[in-house]
Amino acid sequence: MTNNPSVEKPKDLVVSPPPQITGTMSKTRVMAYTFAALLAITIITAILWWPAMTPHPDLDYLGLTGLFAMPLGAILLLNALIAVGVAVVSDFIIGKAAADSEINTMSAAVFGLIVALSYSIGVPTMAMGEMMPISMLSAPGCFIYVALISFIGLVGFKKLQGLKGRKLFNPAATAKLLVLLPFITSTFLIKEHWAPFAEGGLEVPKLASNLVTDYMGTQLTFSGYLQGCYGLPGAEPGSLNSIMLLTKFHGWPGGASSIAVIIIGAILIFFLRDYFKWRITATYFGSAIAMSLIMTGIYGGDPITRLLFELFIGSSIFLGFFMATDPATTPYSRTGQIIFGIGLGVLTVIIQTYMNFFGGALLALVIMNLTVPLLDRIGIHKPFGR
Amino acid sequence: MPYEHIKEVKDQARITPIEIFPDPKTAIVILNQHSGKPLSPLVAVGDLVEMGQKIADSKERISSPIHSPISGKVVKIGNIYSHCSETFMDAIYIENDGKKTKAKTLLPISESELEKTKPDALLNIIHEAGIIGLGGAGFPTHIKLSPPAEFPIKNLVVNATEGEPYDTADERLLIEKTANLLRGVKVIKKILGNPKVTVATKVSKAEAVPKLQEVFGSEPDTTVIAGHFKYQQGDASVLQKALFGYETPPTKRSYEMGCIVQNVATINAIANAVFEGEPLISRVVAFNGDVVQPKNLLVKIGTPISDVFNQNNIDMKDVRQVVVGGVMMGHAIPTTEAPITKRSSSIIAFSESKNKKEQKQTACIHCAKCISACPVKLHPILIYNAIMKPDMDKAEKLWNKDCIGCGTCSYVCPSRIPLASTIMASR
Repeated sequence: MTNNPSVEKPKDLVVSPPPQITGTMSKTRVMAYTFAALLAITIITAILWWPAMTPHPDLDYLGLTGLFAMPLGAILLLNALIAVGVAVVSDFIIGKAAADSEINTMSAAVFGLIVALSYSIGVPTMAMGEMMPISMLSAPGCFIYVALISFIGLVGFKKLQGLKGRKLFNPAATAKLLVLLPFITSTFLIKEHWAPFAEGGLEVPKLASNLVTDYMGTQLTFSGYLQGCYGLPGAEPGSLNSIMLLTKFHGWPGGASSIAVIIIGAILIFFLRDYFKWRITATYFGSAIAMSLIMTGIYGGDPITRLLFELFIGSSIFLGFFMATDPATTPYSRTGQIIFGIGLGVLTVIIQTYMNFFGGALLALVIMNLTVPLLDRIGIHKPFGR
Repeated sequence: MPYEHIKEVKDQARITPIEIFPDPKTAIVILNQHSGKPLSPLVAVGDLVEMGQKIADSKERISSPIHSPISGKVVKIGNIYSHCSETFMDAIYIENDGKKTKAKTLLPISESELEKTKPDALLNIIHEAGIIGLGGAGFPTHIKLSPPAEFPIKNLVVNATEGEPYDTADERLLIEKTANLLRGVKVIKKILGNPKVTVATKVSKAEAVPKLQEVFGSEPDTTVIAGHFKYQQGDASVLQKALFGYETPPTKRSYEMGCIVQNVATINAIANAVFEGEPLISRVVAFNGDVVQPKNLLVKIGTPISDVFNQNNIDMKDVRQVVVGGVMMGHAIPTTEAPITKRSSSIIAFSESKNKKEQKQTACIHCAKCISACPVKLHPILIYNAIMKPDMDKAEKLWNKDCIGCGTCSYVCPSRIPLASTIMASR
């Protein structure tokens, strides 16, 4: 056997390692499909939210209306533009400045939309009775926070975190928690919302009714509280079922319409198949339902109300489809993904039940992210025939 | 487990009958076409050789001789690019005298003599005919068909799945040489002591399936299975799982499970050698890709690949990539001066357009698709990361050596990471 290095390859033939063909799915396409799904949710929410004006006219006495009163749907669209713009421009600048950084416009755009869709806006009917930071929930205040979350998330948690290879924390969730940390009592904790007005606040474990009295002196049931929180401001609140399933008017725009998220999420899974970690979504909802039923078993109360509360509050529904499945911060193996999903569901319900934490899923996700390196190890299966 | 679907590009090629390709002016016969050490030439420059004359052999156990594909004169022993080893290898150059004088290398038997012929005599013919696994592996067939006596063979599988997405040579043999294949199977049955025969093919081979059912259907202990086999199930161990349910560990050979899997082209070559006395000096090669008229050519081993392009009036300026032996597991060759070998099941030409597609490698997005797509249940991206680190201990703990090289992980990777080739190179 001889090897003759003097014989040169003709320049015109491309020599590349096998296989010589690739599948149709590329990174850009995965991101484009995801972006399309998120965009669809953004548009649906913007349309659903158009009738709601913020700040709500009832807030006249605070001197807040007039200046920036605009449809809630328009605020969402502006938020989306800002978040996507900040993410894409930051990604471009970093990509140009750092030699070893890729420019991933599609990926940055997806990230931006997730930021906009997971940023709570809107003003609930009874917000005037709560210590809610109204400037954060409506224009123009929310624009600054959305831009900040998008920037910190992309630079800090997508790019810097990515330098060490595998990312640990979900960039959108972590950036949101970090930026909103100073407002944790007023934005996340249910009890604190009501602390100045109602003794004891809401008791989630028991789904206790008649515990709260609002500032008008009206006694509220637990579901009545939710209806007031998420119903169309100024209008007679619809049934809890229709609010939780069809349209919520406050909170994460991503989960405004639970049913829309479920349908669009299912379509995206159909198109992406195994490029989407749907096992996390399935096990997350499965375990959250199971936990919710267990809680009902322990504390009593209406199982449906509890289910609606645990599954759709704080837009767990959006998180379950679009954030908990972020490929970079979730386990590789199927077993790992299943454990991850179950852990997320169990933690979410525990946090929401015992910590009075609105949107426990967000905190649960960041906690579960920490377990990924471990789950990657235990999820290794033996190969064929071994 | 669902196997990844790989799109086939065979519609034209599979309906195009085998065409006899003209003999080359100069045949370039590479010295090691089998998987094993190279052979030593039995001829010297200036020697006259006849068609079918043995021109190189080896005393090594795992080896298989080669024969002159044409009659003529040995003009050079020099090196040439070999797609089998992806390096430049020694080869015997024979100038064609156009006389086609045949050497009597093998002593054929008639079909009626098969029953009383001893297995050893049949194995000897197969050995002397230079038959190796024509599916691409190149393992000497006479050795494959001589499993240790403690492993009786219960099943013979005719692997007629031909999953390589552009390859059609086997499919045309199934259609045109069905009876010859049955003769070949009978030879193997005789050698292995009458195992059950399973002919595994795909429903998509619409013309071949009825022919196989007609010819093999009435044979004793023979089953024809036309299944929806996927590309990955063309691998011997993955196919056995589909047919018999068991998983062969990579530490074991098929015969230890009582099974031998033979490829169609190899069986055809066995029949030609045993009953016609023809050593392996030609094979059917699919010519496919971005070509106007895909073909199936019966080409002499040693024919320069450039001859195939010239004869089909293809301007090499339009060709950007030439792949030999299948787009999934074959190799892109740097030069068309390279000759056809026993392992060249196909020549696939791609034009510029194919390479304009998004092929640039980018960072892993951790989608884990490679893990769910691996037909032998490996973790390609984790092995790849370990290799790149490099941490070979970890790569071995993740069973990098179990990779069958099917290329599915690279095919599905949205970031275009060369998973399969990196893992195969690390074995």
